[in-house]
Amino acid sequence: MTTNPLLQSGPPGSFYIAPSLPAALDALSDYGAAGATFAGGTWIMRSPIRHEQLKPHYVAIGKIPELSAIRIGTEAIEIGAAVTHAALAAALAGLPEFGVLTAAAGRAANPAIRAMATIGGNLSASAFAAADCVPALLCLDAEVEIASRSDRERISLEQFLKMRSSLAPGRLLTRIVVPRSARRTAHARLPLRQSGDYPVAIVSLAVDVDPANRVQAVRIAVGSIEPVARRWVRLEAALLGHVLDPAQATEVAAELVDEFTGRDSVEVPAWYRVSVLPSLVRRAAIAALGS
Amino acid sequence: MALTLNVNGDRRGFTADPVTPLVDVLREQFHLTGVKPVCREGFCGACMVLVDDRPTLSCLMPAALAQDCEVRTVEGLAANGTLNPIQQALEACDAVQCGMCFPGMVVTLTHLMKATPGATRDDVRSALTGNICRCTGYESIVEAAVRALAAT
Repeated sequence: MTTNPLLQSGPPGSFYIAPSLPAALDALSDYGAAGATFAGGTWIMRSPIRHEQLKPHYVAIGKIPELSAIRIGTEAIEIGAAVTHAALAAALAGLPEFGVLTAAAGRAANPAIRAMATIGGNLSASAFAAADCVPALLCLDAEVEIASRSDRERISLEQFLKMRSSLAPGRLLTRIVVPRSARRTAHARLPLRQSGDYPVAIVSLAVDVDPANRVQAVRIAVGSIEPVARRWVRLEAALLGHVLDPAQATEVAAELVDEFTGRDSVEVPAWYRVSVLPSLVRRAAIAALGS
Repeated sequence: MALTLNVNGDRRGFTADPVTPLVDVLREQFHLTGVKPVCREGFCGACMVLVDDRPTLSCLMPAALAQDCEVRTVEGLAANGTLNPIQQALEACDAVQCGMCFPGMVVTLTHLMKATPGATRDDVRSALTGNICRCTGYESIVEAAVRALAAT
């Protein structure tokens, strides 16, 4: 077995464990393009496998109290970017309206990964198509806060997904804000193994129904099919105003599924990812009606 | 970068790039080869160690983050040379096969025994989600864990 070259001599990197958010933002600004944020590390530490160079400098944010906190308010919940999947699932377990996010955070990967991987990292890893929390937060209409040394701004998650790969050096996703409502939600995912695996496809659903189960408002997000998760707007429009019937929703989804172009990969061919979507819509509808 | 780690009660300094995976430091600096670098992706669990008593994938943890923590590998689980209850049960059930995944399984189950003494068979299976056995020898391992839990 070969020795890890990082244990041998070579250009030394730096690893700054930031004690506060201002300290982290200062360090990221100073390092510029040579630095990067290190949250849970479950994506960065696999860089060599993806044949990607590690950055010379990392700023660890896992010990910053305000980034590791979850605040559950009456109007919204605020999730620090360094909150782990395990912590998020535990914190939201008693809130059925966030069932989709609890399931996404609580079933992703395996227990040890969930104890390390952070919600901010999950949203920021632009090359990770199978992130569970991205479609879950899309269907919950989440917003994210971006901070730099000099300013803060809040944008929709959909906007963030479009610009995350070109986020300027020194800018950091600091928290996620999710509005509260009495919606029903569900997260349907299909891993190749029963658990511990990345999902082939994901359907996240948030729906408001009247007493007759007629759809008053609906948001559906699809993950892992294409490189970036996105809303399924045509399916939402087709379901709006109708009684949420899992069988009918499956039929409508099958008619509209051609709008997706699946990712090809060693795990499954592209067509397979797309072909399972209607079944996941059915599962999500059943789960939402039962929630 | 100069780093210092506490491993199995042994405190030692060394020099490495701070993002060196903990698994490589444990094997090459501390010569603790029970920790296996297999998938290096966090999927197989063969590199599982306890960091401050929590099961941690040492392939995904940079050495710099392990400083000021208590790291315990499979070599450090038998206090004073006495196998812990899960180790004893695994031996009694003859649960070992090729041994590649086994140290990680022992670490995960040691934590389960301590953190969830009332764990069920399903809890055992759930805890082992991230420990892959290529010999598919899960049943005897799960049975040993259930037996150890019943004896507590």
